[in-house]
Amino acid sequence: MTPIGLIALIFGIPSLLLLAYVFIKGSTGLRRYILTRIVLTLPMVFILGTMVFLIMHILPGDPVSSALGPKGTPEMIQQIRSELGLNDPLIVQYGRFLGEMVTLKFGNSLVGGHRPIIDEMSERFPATLELIIPASILALLIGIYGGTWAASKRKKTTDYAMRIYAVVIYSLPIFWLGLILQLFFGVTLKWFPISGRIDPIIGTTLKTYTNIYTIDALISGNWPALWSVLQHLVLPTVTLGLIQSGLFVRMTRVNVIETLHTDYIAAARARGVREHVLIYGHALKNAMIPVITLIGLQVAILLAGAVLTETVFSWPGMGSYLVERISARDYTAVQSVITVFALLVALISLAVDVIYSLVDPRVRY
Amino acid sequence: MSNIDEKPANTPLEGTTWEVELKQVGFVRRLLMARRWYGADWWFVTISAVAVLIFIIIAIFPQWFAPYSPDALAGPRFVAPGATVELSFLVVPADSSVNKLQDLAVPEGTDQASVAVVQGLPTSGDLNDAAQKIDEIIKNQPAGLRLRPIIDRYVTLDEALQSVMAGTDKAAVVQSTDLAAIKASYPTLREAGSLSGQVAGNYILGTNDIGQDVLSRLLWGTRIALIIGFSSSILSLVLGVPLGLIAGFVGGTFDRLLSLLMDSLYAFPGLILAIAITAVLGPSILNIILAIAVLYIPTYYRIVRGQTLSVKEEVYVEAAKSIGARRLEILTRYIFPNVIPSVAIIFSVNVADAILTGAGLSFLGLGLPPTIADWGIDLARGQRFIQTAWWMITFPGLAILLVVLSFTLMGEGLTEIFNPKLRDR
Amino acid sequence: MSDDILYSIRNLTVEYKTRAGAVRAVDNVSLDIRRGEILGLVGESGCGKSTFGKALMRLHDGPASITGGELWFDGRDLMKLPITEMPNIRGAEIGMVFQDPMTSLNPVQRILDHLTETILTHEPGTSEADARKRAEELVERLGIRRERIMEYPHQMSGGMRQRVMISLALALRAKLVIADEPTTSLDVIVEAKFLDLLKELQKEFGLTILLITHNIGVVAEVADRVAVMYAAKMAEVGSVQRVFADPKHPYTQGLLKSVPNIKLDEGELYKMGGEPPSLLHPPVGCRFHPRCPFAMDICSEQEPAFEPVAGDQSASCWLYQKAGVQRVAENQDVHNG
Repeated sequence: MTPIGLIALIFGIPSLLLLAYVFIKGSTGLRRYILTRIVLTLPMVFILGTMVFLIMHILPGDPVSSALGPKGTPEMIQQIRSELGLNDPLIVQYGRFLGEMVTLKFGNSLVGGHRPIIDEMSERFPATLELIIPASILALLIGIYGGTWAASKRKKTTDYAMRIYAVVIYSLPIFWLGLILQLFFGVTLKWFPISGRIDPIIGTTLKTYTNIYTIDALISGNWPALWSVLQHLVLPTVTLGLIQSGLFVRMTRVNVIETLHTDYIAAARARGVREHVLIYGHALKNAMIPVITLIGLQVAILLAGAVLTETVFSWPGMGSYLVERISARDYTAVQSVITVFALLVALISLAVDVIYSLVDPRVRY
Repeated sequence: MSNIDEKPANTPLEGTTWEVELKQVGFVRRLLMARRWYGADWWFVTISAVAVLIFIIIAIFPQWFAPYSPDALAGPRFVAPGATVELSFLVVPADSSVNKLQDLAVPEGTDQASVAVVQGLPTSGDLNDAAQKIDEIIKNQPAGLRLRPIIDRYVTLDEALQSVMAGTDKAAVVQSTDLAAIKASYPTLREAGSLSGQVAGNYILGTNDIGQDVLSRLLWGTRIALIIGFSSSILSLVLGVPLGLIAGFVGGTFDRLLSLLMDSLYAFPGLILAIAITAVLGPSILNIILAIAVLYIPTYYRIVRGQTLSVKEEVYVEAAKSIGARRLEILTRYIFPNVIPSVAIIFSVNVADAILTGAGLSFLGLGLPPTIADWGIDLARGQRFIQTAWWMITFPGLAILLVVLSFTLMGEGLTEIFNPKLRDR
Repeated sequence: MSDDILYSIRNLTVEYKTRAGAVRAVDNVSLDIRRGEILGLVGESGCGKSTFGKALMRLHDGPASITGGELWFDGRDLMKLPITEMPNIRGAEIGMVFQDPMTSLNPVQRILDHLTETILTHEPGTSEADARKRAEELVERLGIRRERIMEYPHQMSGGMRQRVMISLALALRAKLVIADEPTTSLDVIVEAKFLDLLKELQKEFGLTILLITHNIGVVAEVADRVAVMYAAKMAEVGSVQRVFADPKHPYTQGLLKSVPNIKLDEGELYKMGGEPPSLLHPPVGCRFHPRCPFAMDICSEQEPAFEPVAGDQSASCWLYQKAGVQRVAENQDVHNG
């Protein structure tokens, strides 16, 4: 069972079960909403895929000759081109591309080893997951609690400090933040390692099932490995999470302030409900709903940030894979990676929309 | 790296064009009155506007501010910020004809010159290195000169210098910190330049791995950052705003198709798209500008289209009453001026984003030819030396932060001023 | 303070800080609310009655603050309590019913949770089951089927939501219920039902109600006494019969004249001239004098005090006060001789 297969199972089965549950138990309104969302996602995936295809095939430049470099004789170029089907009419290539997108059979890497791309992604994708999931959770926590805190101290120093924090985070180049964290915590203080996913020696002891090292270490009870992985996870996660938190802080703050001015909060206050219950209970919950949809918007930023973070920390995920393949001029791989990214964006947006519908009862009933 | 808030402005529809213009005349006066009214946000805008202006000036005339040219090998490698540069200097008798180390070279076969050094100091090592370098160069020259000086080690500086005065050694190699004392106490000796020929400069922010001045590269880097930032933003604007206006105005299938396309583009990670485009097109400034410009067209499109739609409702009612206003007139005279404040806000945030994306691209090694002084490239180089030269990554990144922050703050402040949301509550 | 007065408000002032300066939304207002009565507080929009109502719980919008006065509720001055004690009183001893029940209920919270939260906040020892039982009994008493307690606010009609609001105010048997424009968002028929319900509940639970409204008709129907506010000050107070039969303050007179009367076939509608004054720069002297048909010189110089005029009717008008009467007499003397 490939790692990607395992991951698909781990995430896929609960999601499908949840979807089924929601479908059966939910009202017709909810069902219609979910179906609409699913149906609307398809054109988006289609368009994104087409965009990728157009970029890779229409723009000037021949990938094969660049890949082969000066060594490539015209005969070699022609041979590889016809092998890859690059001489076929554009429509045919497009059709083939769509087929690949659906079945995820991306063919072989152009450069260096000719491994099936899907195998390489199989190793890289879980690494990216292992990074972006904790980072997003961290970002949400910082964002929601920080934003609420700032809203509760409106107009006082804390509020302005939080607003400045959000703006600075937004303006901070993520790769620089990573470097500074590496410098300070990795080099100067030597608290955390600055590259890789796991200590290479310990790494040899780890049996990988899903390629998400934390899960694998837990499954096999390999505590030294788990410890090493967690150590390596800290700096990249904090980097990516901090940058993400900026937008969440802003949005939460704005939403909580607006919520605190609503009539129903005033009415609750008139019933004697304590202020901190109003802020951290009601206002936070009400404000959280629009922030959740923000996660969907943030996917783009998340993935872009992942590319840079993985590069800084030599984290072997999809992001660094993309950059490596571009430097190697392996255009088939590049095209495949970007397609996967597009699929990911669409899927996550869909998931967020569905979750939103579950949380906001106004949509449910 | 997308935009922040995107609520369209709630400006009511103004009457005829001259009223719109009048409003803009009073703008400067209102700006000054605004200081008391808007409080902190006014300061945001003003300070950031001043900062932006400073950056623009630096970008246009970096040579006024930078002590060195960005490519010049201005000094020794890896000089820490503010550190005094220890150069080794040649000291010779006042009447000697030697003016640089190379002058000590003698023809093959004759006795080599002897040079005095103080033992235990890096000066002897420097002498060896410098002599070797020069020797490599001159040994192939027709004059047949070689430079392999004999090194005489002395315990104290005075002994070394006295041997030079006595003629035992042709020259002495001393540290730059001793030069002042030597000048005072040994009037018959003079210095003959540094071993490497470099001038001991002041490197405020240090030097990088090949000896370039970090500060100068920083200042020169402003140019490319702002060029990319402004060019791509203007391009996005020029393409996105009209598309948004037309789509919002015309509506129908054209609008729906275009919006679907723009939404998909918007949802896609910008950096990755830019990576794809630059990867295919190849590294050059123009390609980066094009790639980044594509990223932000949807943002302009959406905002402008949204506003056009909301204004269109009002205008058609009026147009129904005053038949005769042609559609193009409505578009340019009524809708467009209302759209300008939002576009200004998006523009400043856009420039900030574009600079970030551009730096990201060059950090990854894509996009810019490596000969241009650029913050992203410097950061990538600095990463290799993170253990030894912290200044190589700290300052370029700080520069990016400051520039991007200025534009973002300006956008922030403008947002609060044009779209008052939560001012008095 | 005599036993039959539940809430004695003395010299209450509430100020708003705005960028243009300080505005007094309630300016030195005094009022006594008697136990068991329904007291109507009327006035135009912006006269300060809503701010007054909220201030009775020491609640106010962000930029506002209570800058003076005493709030003698049930024997103690609420102004002397630390503000952290007020949440104990709100909802438990003083309850509030708001104007718009759609926005006053949390859209993502079930009706049940609204009620149990209130109960549990004030009586934390109660078990969930008990709280739920009480909540169900409460809504049933107010005419809502108990199964509907699991619904969300947007699933109910306007009238039902308003009854939910009452139930929230009654959940802990508050002594005083402040109703801030409770019927403004209801249509006439629902409004009538609501007022009947209010009267019923008042008798059953022995409530004291302060009914804030701009609708005089509502006051006429349910209230025992009425207080009239104008431009952040109290104009007139008295029993409904007396004030409606013989209004003393010229503003009250104008107010009553402006009510359209279906029965009589009167020609034009009466409209009071002028506009309510800006509270940023209120008129010197009596605030009503620019619009008053009986204005005298003294009215534009000094503010009249709020004093009893006849029986339990009080008004702040120079027409009834010695100095004013004197001045009128003096002027006549001057004229005559």
